[in-house]
Amino acid sequence: MEKQSFIIEIESGLYLVKFPKAFYERESIFAAAYLFRENFQIRIDSIDDHYVGVWFQTKIEQIDSDVKFALGEYCNEVLDQQVRRDLDERYGALREIIYEHAFTPLKRRKAGA
Amino acid sequence: MSKVQLLPFTFKRFSDNRFLIVNQGGEYVFLDLDKFNRLLSGDSDVMGNSLFGFKSKHLIATDDVDLAIDLLSTKLRTRKAYLTSFTTLHMMVVTVRCNCICDYCHASSIEPEKLEFDMNWETARKTIDMIFQSPSPTIKIEFQGGEPILNWDIVKESILYAEHINRYAKRELGFVICTNLVLINQEIITFCKKHKVMLSTSLDGPKDLHDCHRKSRDGSSSYDRFKDNLELVREEGCFDGCTALLTVTRDHLTRLDEVIDHYIDMGFSGVFLRALNPYGYAATNSDNIGYSTEEFLFAFKNALNYIIELNMNGKPFIEYYTVLLLQRILTPFSTGFVDLQSPAGAGISGAIYDYSGEVYPADEARMLARMGDKTFLMGNVFSDSYEELFNGSVIQNLVYRSCVEVMPGCGTCAYQLYCGADPIRYYVETGDVVGKRPNSGFCKKNKGIIDYIFQLIDQGNEDILNLFWSWITRRSLEDVKLENC
Repeated sequence: MEKQSFIIEIESGLYLVKFPKAFYERESIFAAAYLFRENFQIRIDSIDDHYVGVWFQTKIEQIDSDVKFALGEYCNEVLDQQVRRDLDERYGALREIIYEHAFTPLKRRKAGA
Repeated sequence: MSKVQLLPFTFKRFSDNRFLIVNQGGEYVFLDLDKFNRLLSGDSDVMGNSLFGFKSKHLIATDDVDLAIDLLSTKLRTRKAYLTSFTTLHMMVVTVRCNCICDYCHASSIEPEKLEFDMNWETARKTIDMIFQSPSPTIKIEFQGGEPILNWDIVKESILYAEHINRYAKRELGFVICTNLVLINQEIITFCKKHKVMLSTSLDGPKDLHDCHRKSRDGSSSYDRFKDNLELVREEGCFDGCTALLTVTRDHLTRLDEVIDHYIDMGFSGVFLRALNPYGYAATNSDNIGYSTEEFLFAFKNALNYIIELNMNGKPFIEYYTVLLLQRILTPFSTGFVDLQSPAGAGISGAIYDYSGEVYPADEARMLARMGDKTFLMGNVFSDSYEELFNGSVIQNLVYRSCVEVMPGCGTCAYQLYCGADPIRYYVETGDVVGKRPNSGFCKKNKGIIDYIFQLIDQGNEDILNLFWSWITRRSLEDVKLENC
């Protein structure tokens, strides 16, 4: 299989990163994009049934290698966010139980029990 | 083979092969990629020898899930204990007048002649009555300004009145005066000694730096009078609690070592390295005295390294903000620092009463009001009841929208149990109390400092870890070393 960069430069200062929908959820891509809004203007859209695209427009002029490094970090961040989501699906209910449990005495006090 | 249940945790990628994992009780562990993958597998066979380590850190449970949940809940409740007592810190702005005109003054102080900016007795009395309606068993009243000593009679009467009320209220009552020390005299010192009033002051370093940024309005050296009066205060021998705050300006960034040496020469046991905040004169003078968060972090790390080096060479000295964060990282206990809580401490842990009787959830909100924006005005001690002030829309909105557990960018952050929200700062930065973390100076600063503290912890240098423990427990480094021998 031919090795392709997963970061595509569309035109000067405009880059595209594609994510397969089968592996990544919308929330992970959004949460990671939120963290990169300081340096990029970002647009997220569906490309087709299988891929979602994230377009990054640099806010100020940057050298290509710096941008590609930053977008590589974005990809890692999406991966981390997806791991967090996967974990949350597995133990998210437990976290709610822990919070509920931790504050139960306060609730009872509020209710005057 | 035991059945493995993963317990809730957050994580942060420190490097390609190094992960910081923080559980729901705030306990942390560093794992390399291999161990992290073993943990994520949730399979006891894959976890191998790591299983017991994960279990002891409450990252997983095997056949004792209920017990693990109980323990994590207790730890979480302990960390959030500041929520149980409600507002403990009550700041009274007894005057906006000040004899100094600091170029970073967040409170936008005004000339000493303008007496109409003083709190009068009726307002002070009404304010103290309001303060004692707080359900908190601990009440700390902090007198602020301007320079509160300019309205000394009201400060004095307020302390006497609060003590009178407390004969029946039976709270743990304490007082602090935030003063530049320039106007302090023997009578004031004697009174403070008698009534156990703590003094909190500001020192910007050597004379040239101090006088440059903390200018007296009459043109005299504020440093000289500060120094003389500090000696007067120390001669009384009861002011161990006289602590000083350093506000870091651009001039300080390259001179922090010198400033720290000066603090030691002046007999202080520590320093609080406070960055500029975007309020008052600090905002209007930012072109001359401001800096980027990255510049502050660079200087902060160098200063912390210098302080560590001093301690290793036998000179005990503390950076208070680092200690506060270390307490959160290395112990399970609640540290009620109102600027770093979730939900934010604004209003529910601290409140500020302006000279006019207006009440704000935080000093920054009052400063914002001085700049013409009264978004966070809770009400007035004359026209509103305690319930209207502290259960009103301002506080409810701040609490509802400042829980880091569900805030964008914070909800998945590994530092959420050590950090907090600053909705008023976010409002100043973005026009919205939720704010935008990627651009937030508050977020960058705290993340940067916590990153660095964790880097130091992860290095595993026993001397540094002993030093951190000595700071937290307020013991000498030698004591801690002996204990660990």
